[in-house]
Amino acid sequence: MSGGLPKALPSTGPHSLRDMPHPLAGSSSEEAVGGDSTPSPDLLLARSFADKDLILPNGGTPAGTSSPASSSSLLNRLQLDDDLDGETRDLFVTVDDPKKHVCTMETYITYRITTKSTRVEFDLPEYSVRRRYQDFDWLRNKLEESQPTHLIPPLPEKFVVKGVVDRFSEEFVETRRKALDKFLKRITDHPVLSFNEHFNVFLTAKDLNAHKKQGMALLTRMGESVKHVTGGYKLRSRPLEFAAIGEYLDTFALKLGTIDRIAQRIIKEEIEYLVELREYGPVYSTWSALEGELAEPLEGVSACIGNCSTALEELTDDMTEDFLPVLREYVLYSDSMKNVLKKRDQVQAEYEAKLEAVALRKEDRPKVPADVEKCQDRMECFNADLKADMERWQNNKRQDFRQLLMGMADKNIQYYEKCLTAWESIIPLLQERQEAK
Amino acid sequence: MEPATPDLGRLLQPSPLEPLGHTDAGLEAVVDEDAEGVRDEDVPGDQTMTENNFWLKKIEISVSEAEKRTGRNAMNMQETYTAYLIETRSVEHIDGPSVLTDSLWRRYSEFELLRNYLLVYYPHVVVPPLPEKRAEFVWHKLSADNMDPDFVERRRIGLENFLLRIASHPILCRDKIFYLFLTQEGNWKETVYETGFQLKADSRLKALNATFRVKNPDKRFTELKHYSDELQSVISHLLRVRARVADRLYGVYKVHGNYGRVFSEWSAIEKEMGDGLQSAGHHMDVYASSIDDILEDEEHYADQLKEYLFYAEALRAVCRKHELMQYDLEMAAQDLASKKQQCEELATGTVRTFSLKGMTTKLFGQETPEQREARIKVLEEQISEGEQQLKSKNLEGREFVKNAWADIERFKEQKNRDLKEALISYAVMQISMCKKGIQVWTNAKECFSKM
Repeated sequence: MSGGLPKALPSTGPHSLRDMPHPLAGSSSEEAVGGDSTPSPDLLLARSFADKDLILPNGGTPAGTSSPASSSSLLNRLQLDDDLDGETRDLFVTVDDPKKHVCTMETYITYRITTKSTRVEFDLPEYSVRRRYQDFDWLRNKLEESQPTHLIPPLPEKFVVKGVVDRFSEEFVETRRKALDKFLKRITDHPVLSFNEHFNVFLTAKDLNAHKKQGMALLTRMGESVKHVTGGYKLRSRPLEFAAIGEYLDTFALKLGTIDRIAQRIIKEEIEYLVELREYGPVYSTWSALEGELAEPLEGVSACIGNCSTALEELTDDMTEDFLPVLREYVLYSDSMKNVLKKRDQVQAEYEAKLEAVALRKEDRPKVPADVEKCQDRMECFNADLKADMERWQNNKRQDFRQLLMGMADKNIQYYEKCLTAWESIIPLLQERQEAK
Repeated sequence: MEPATPDLGRLLQPSPLEPLGHTDAGLEAVVDEDAEGVRDEDVPGDQTMTENNFWLKKIEISVSEAEKRTGRNAMNMQETYTAYLIETRSVEHIDGPSVLTDSLWRRYSEFELLRNYLLVYYPHVVVPPLPEKRAEFVWHKLSADNMDPDFVERRRIGLENFLLRIASHPILCRDKIFYLFLTQEGNWKETVYETGFQLKADSRLKALNATFRVKNPDKRFTELKHYSDELQSVISHLLRVRARVADRLYGVYKVHGNYGRVFSEWSAIEKEMGDGLQSAGHHMDVYASSIDDILEDEEHYADQLKEYLFYAEALRAVCRKHELMQYDLEMAAQDLASKKQQCEELATGTVRTFSLKGMTTKLFGQETPEQREARIKVLEEQISEGEQQLKSKNLEGREFVKNAWADIERFKEQKNRDLKEALISYAVMQISMCKKGIQVWTNAKECFSKM
């Protein structure tokens, strides 16, 4: 991955980044304002990827290019594009092919990450690397550090709390693989995160450990600035929308937790029901052995119950593997989102404190000192990014839950259909008249 | 035929315990399943039995109501019991109107009395069982309380079934005490006791675990007894597990009801997803509450199985009766043989068999020829009597086997028919449950799709 000024992709809009005014030049209002100064190199890194890849529906200047907020409104427009079919995508990532590695020190699983992309940030059109959970964890941490104003998708849990689960069982590995795949796809779909350098390294580097050791200091400007935000400032008033988001996330996490408990309880009850069914069916067989004319009907009932038992087992397995993990993911998601909200609060608090300090000093206005301006920009950037991400998150959440719940309904329908078939098929057997001897 | 005495028990229909005269005629009636008419030749000559007109019309019996009553029992203590209303209707013509001819109240103990009476007087018949006295094989939601309205309702149906079984039995339907049970409210118990059936009862029948070493039982009865034991065991097991299955199924459905509440709460904080969630939640509630009716229907299936669980006992009783009769026969034959032996020894002077008299004679001296003659005479009388008894016992035994086996064959057909029907209705119940499940989840899926 080369440094330096990025090259314009042929598919980009008519203006290259160089034509775009410095986002922080001029006034710090959220309105789009034009400017003429050349962008500074480090800022280019931050903003360039997002703007680079713009496929603007109208062609022409990306609206509101002067302030950081502009990238968010661009993001908003981009969301429409991202929802279109794969033809507009230029990055595809898949996680598959889990393999077990046995070493002297430890045993672990790696997954194959396949990347296909036409983006210029990738030297080759296709990559295939192997990564283990640790590596995903590293990636997530790096993303959180470097993109603190954005919502980073959650990873499946690191440790398996219920000690009974086998870390190397097929079901566990498959569940984890799906979650890791989801994780990378969410990043891929994100217009800012998908251009993150750490993400690129994760997808392409032959030896990730070497990179880890290098300690890539490729923090975005925002990352740098937020990193240095000191805590301990008291927030005056949270803007309504963020207060609302906070409240929403609280209730949302609560409800999800309840649903998780209900789903687990249902599975537990279903398993206990299954245990009884597995004893129930064979008793009809035992009875059948005593009888003459009734032998076939009784045996038929026994087989039928056996089929229903199998169908039930399939249902509980499906629910455990597909339903519960997604719920848990979203609980983790909302937890990490709350952390981002806290950080945002901190940034706002610092800005307000500094502003107040300035006001008290009664220095000449309207010249606002540079560092206060920086704080304000930081805050507004953060707010904009967060808002955009929230909207995107809400949309994805709706899709995900729609799919999840429809899936749950589907699995139950299939279960009942299997049982229905079994019972309907023995009716003719039961009604059969025995030939007179 | 013995001289008629005002003994109601004998005014009744042919019982195999009676001397032989009318038994064959009675058997024809057994074979004829049409309970509608009793031909005149089958009626043991008593013209005062105008009640026989009863049988010429088709009758409908129903146990239509149950009522809680309080009264004083034999120890003058207050007790609560349930009384059941039995209504009998006669139908003059097919599809014609039914006319209520009798209506009276009976309690469970009176049904028990009727059954005990029938067991004594018809030991060769597989007597229909009563519904259970106490609720057993209950799953948790079902009450084990005898006063619980659901239990009382199921018992009412069971008692009605009991009476219908008797009324459709070719032999039992003719019983006078049964007729009086349906028609004579007051004094019926006294009438039953007056038959003296309790004296006739073979107490050994109740001693289920006592074994009698029978050398030559009819193999069919031995096999049948074994079958009835196995049947009892397997149906008990089935009912126990079924109750546990019902319990678990109840749990599964009811927990889904929680989705209803949480979806509703969640929908309150959502904008676009709200409606879909809310309406899906409603369907989850419907799903959760549907299990109550489903399991109630299944109780009827359990009751059908229970009837045959208890029928197995009745079957066993008939086999037992054969065993006892055979035992008595063998004991009588043995006794006769030993007496004959004694007689022979006395006559010839040889002592082959050990007898106390023989020993004492040896020890204390010979007996006189007169004494010996006297003893031989007594023995010869006893032998003669014994031979008569053995002959009649043999005949009785064979009659019993013939009649009992005929009823057993009838019972087997009935059992196969009934249980097949029960299995079919169980399958139908399951199909209905599956269809309801598909419906509810399809509705929920549609709501989710609108999220």
